[in-house]
Amino acid sequence: MRFRQRAPLGILLVLVSCLSVGSANAIGQSTQIDDAQSKLVQAFVLVRQADLEGASPGQISLLANNLNLALGYEDNATLLFSKDINASNFYASKSVSLSNATSAQALSLTSAARTQTFLNQVAAYSIAVAAGFGSALFVLEFDRLDNLVRRMRLRRTRLN
Amino acid sequence: MLLLFGSFSLVYSSVAYYSLSRPPSQEFIAWGVFSPSGTLSKYFSGASANVARGQTQNWHFAITNQMGSIQYVQVVYRLANRTSADPNATVPGSTVSQLGNRSIFIPNAQTGFVNFTWSINSTSPSPGGMVFITMTINGRQVSPSVGAIGGQGFRFFFELWTFDIASNSFQYGYKGQSSRVGVPLQVWFNSV
Repeated sequence: MRFRQRAPLGILLVLVSCLSVGSANAIGQSTQIDDAQSKLVQAFVLVRQADLEGASPGQISLLANNLNLALGYEDNATLLFSKDINASNFYASKSVSLSNATSAQALSLTSAARTQTFLNQVAAYSIAVAAGFGSALFVLEFDRLDNLVRRMRLRRTRLN
Repeated sequence: MLLLFGSFSLVYSSVAYYSLSRPPSQEFIAWGVFSPSGTLSKYFSGASANVARGQTQNWHFAITNQMGSIQYVQVVYRLANRTSADPNATVPGSTVSQLGNRSIFIPNAQTGFVNFTWSINSTSPSPGGMVFITMTINGRQVSPSVGAIGGQGFRFFFELWTFDIASNSFQYGYKGQSSRVGVPLQVWFNSV
């Protein structure tokens, strides 16, 4: 009795699993290509972060070239998927490794850009405080300076 | 002394803050579909927009990114006819199915180029006078579900989509100040 009750459930499970495998094939995309796509997006997110942190346009341009190259590999992998699975996997793995390398470069750029921004801020505000001190001193000691200039002028006149 | 020092420091710090801040700017993406001669016209060799079977069209998109940071851009193309609903500033032309797409990463303040090479492979007239075509676009064969009466009045819809990190997917248009901004393009042609 128990077997009879469970048999339809078992058949249903087998059918669902078969359908899910069938639909994965119908979509026509391997896990390698999925991986290449997710790594590419991950690399883009990190490059964008480096860009927003203030990395130089030249450095971002180089990373963008890498991203476009990785995207080209991923396109090739997708195009070759139904024709030559080995070639497709080859291009997908090339895309993954280039995306990973780009991500690492982007992370290092982000860190360098953050440090540079911090140093720029420290330098700018230090100069502002030093200029504030210098200006305050100048205003307070203006009379003494004025006297000094007058004395120097007088000495020159006497010499002449 | 301290009051003067504080006042001057405040003024100079304000100057420093202003010089370190990014200037405000209007963010946008501009794009166009260009003919082989590099113009926004003369897409076809003749005066009319007639395209014969096997005749290859070499167009390209030029996309300029002024969004303030690198963008992951996708160009989506669809084939429509005279009666299809147009894409607009807020809605894509989803009433007709997508024929394909091309993506590109474009750094800020730079222009990216995407090739769009296409030709008509075959035409098949139906009894009602509707003509259906098969095409090759960027090396891929496609069979659009849309036909046109007598092969006249086909339209390419070109849509710009940008990758949205929050939703982890491409979204129609680009992110404007308050909402997303769609900038669709279209080119008419006749199949002869």
